[in-house]
Amino acid sequence: MKKTSQTLVHTTLALILPFALSSCALFKKKGASGGAGGSDGDYVNGTPLADRQEGVSFMSDNVDKKKFSPVHFAFDSYSVESSDEGKLDEVATFLQGNSNTIIIAGFTDERGTPEYNRGLGERRAGAVREYLIHHGASADKIQTVSFGAEMPADSGSNDSAWARNRRAEFGVVK
Amino acid sequence: MKTLFIVVLTGAFWLHPLLAAEEAPTITISKSDVVAIAVSPIGGANGASVTKIVQNDLAVSGYFNVTSAGSAGLIVSGDSSGSGLQGKVVDHSGKVALSSNYSGSARAKAHEFANDIIRTLTGNPGIAGTKIAFVSTKSGKKEIYTADYDGSNVQQLTRDNSISVGPSLSADGRKLAYTGYKSGYADIYVIDLGSGSRERAIKFPGTNSGAAFSPDGARIACSVSRDGNPELYVCGVGGGGARRLTHSPGVESAPTWSPDGGEIIYSYEEHGPQLYRISASGGSGRQIPTGHGYCTEPDWSPDGKKVAFNVREGGSFAVAVLDLQGGQTRVLANGESPAWGADSRHIIYASGGALYLLDAQSGRKVKVLDGLGKITEPAWAR
Repeated sequence: MKKTSQTLVHTTLALILPFALSSCALFKKKGASGGAGGSDGDYVNGTPLADRQEGVSFMSDNVDKKKFSPVHFAFDSYSVESSDEGKLDEVATFLQGNSNTIIIAGFTDERGTPEYNRGLGERRAGAVREYLIHHGASADKIQTVSFGAEMPADSGSNDSAWARNRRAEFGVVK
Repeated sequence: MKTLFIVVLTGAFWLHPLLAAEEAPTITISKSDVVAIAVSPIGGANGASVTKIVQNDLAVSGYFNVTSAGSAGLIVSGDSSGSGLQGKVVDHSGKVALSSNYSGSARAKAHEFANDIIRTLTGNPGIAGTKIAFVSTKSGKKEIYTADYDGSNVQQLTRDNSISVGPSLSADGRKLAYTGYKSGYADIYVIDLGSGSRERAIKFPGTNSGAAFSPDGARIACSVSRDGNPELYVCGVGGGGARRLTHSPGVESAPTWSPDGGEIIYSYEEHGPQLYRISASGGSGRQIPTGHGYCTEPDWSPDGKKVAFNVREGGSFAVAVLDLQGGQTRVLANGESPAWGADSRHIIYASGGALYLLDAQSGRKVKVLDGLGKITEPAWAR
């Protein structure tokens, strides 16, 4: 049941693309696509990542983390907010017009358990990546990483700090 | 508890031929009993420290009330000389329940003796001398540390000066896997605790995290996002032979193995994280009802009967235990990242930056480690 061949991925994307474009069904709501939870179905989600580039990571000096500002998420959610779509469209346009690759780093607030947070952060980075792919960016040029609740943007323990920390950041490889 | 009583009794017969040959022992310990036991001062050069360690191990086990000789139904005695320890347990009628020799450091042989006492009298493995691992911020960065389960022998294991989290110990305590960010990505490293050698074992594109050793130590279950989404994988300990188990739109995290290595329980997030179980060779994941809307960080007990996990209550997290046969969930303590000990009775968890030892049977909690930066994410060898 390993259905991750390129053909199937493309076929599936072609099938879901109209919905994704019209209402962002895939990302608007968690699990809006309705796959059986944790089951081995025909659902092909996400687009496989290309191999990492040696010597390049979100933490390395050869990455520009200031070029694009972060996008934010609701509590326990990995849905791309409609208010962030403009920001993401800029990133997609940049990727289409330039040869640079980017690394999307997903983060959570502190109100989750550690492994859950690392998974949620990665899912957030993945949701942003899928948005960019569906808006014309090449999948091979986008890597993801999750830091969970590490490296908060705001070290406070209050609603506004948590809101700032539930984010995805962009590292543009120079 | 009648069934248990019989099981324990039978276990004692098997483990101790001497008893089996004679009449039934007058004292056996069922799961719900607390039996009075006394530890006579153990003779020899390091006898005093051996006595203290045995007393503490027996008290912490939950099966015993450590008391004075006059009121005890069982009396522990022994003689410690050099690296040897001759240990003995007699019941109130003078019948020998256990008589054996142990060797090693004062600490090692005392723990071994205590575990032997527990195993002989209850049929269950003890936790004395077992290793734990955890994350501490003491150095200013998150690094992995190891210690004995009672908080002694603390040692800093990693010095990555990065972010090192999510430790997992193999059942025999010889290997430790963790999630490290040394490469700038989240990779799973495996350290051989004997030789100190380390391997960056699982380093697929994306995030690799949540390593859990299979009971035989040959495989690692983990969460891998190479497919563009976090999915459950099983790999060899060196990272080879990776096999994807799940195909879902949500987030799989924190896998934990059944004692026979045939099944995996994990947390799956789609509409609030829930517990699921799946065959370790793949197939369909099935939800495990818990009655809670937020279920993360599961840990399957070594006896296979229970799952400890986190639930969210109000703004904070609690340690809950699900009985897999009966289906009931009990919330036992405020804290995170529960990990079972070898006895399937005690749980180590983190709360407020400290580590606690919880007796899931009695509900008793003891702080075992504090004042070492912020401590999180304990793991326990079995």
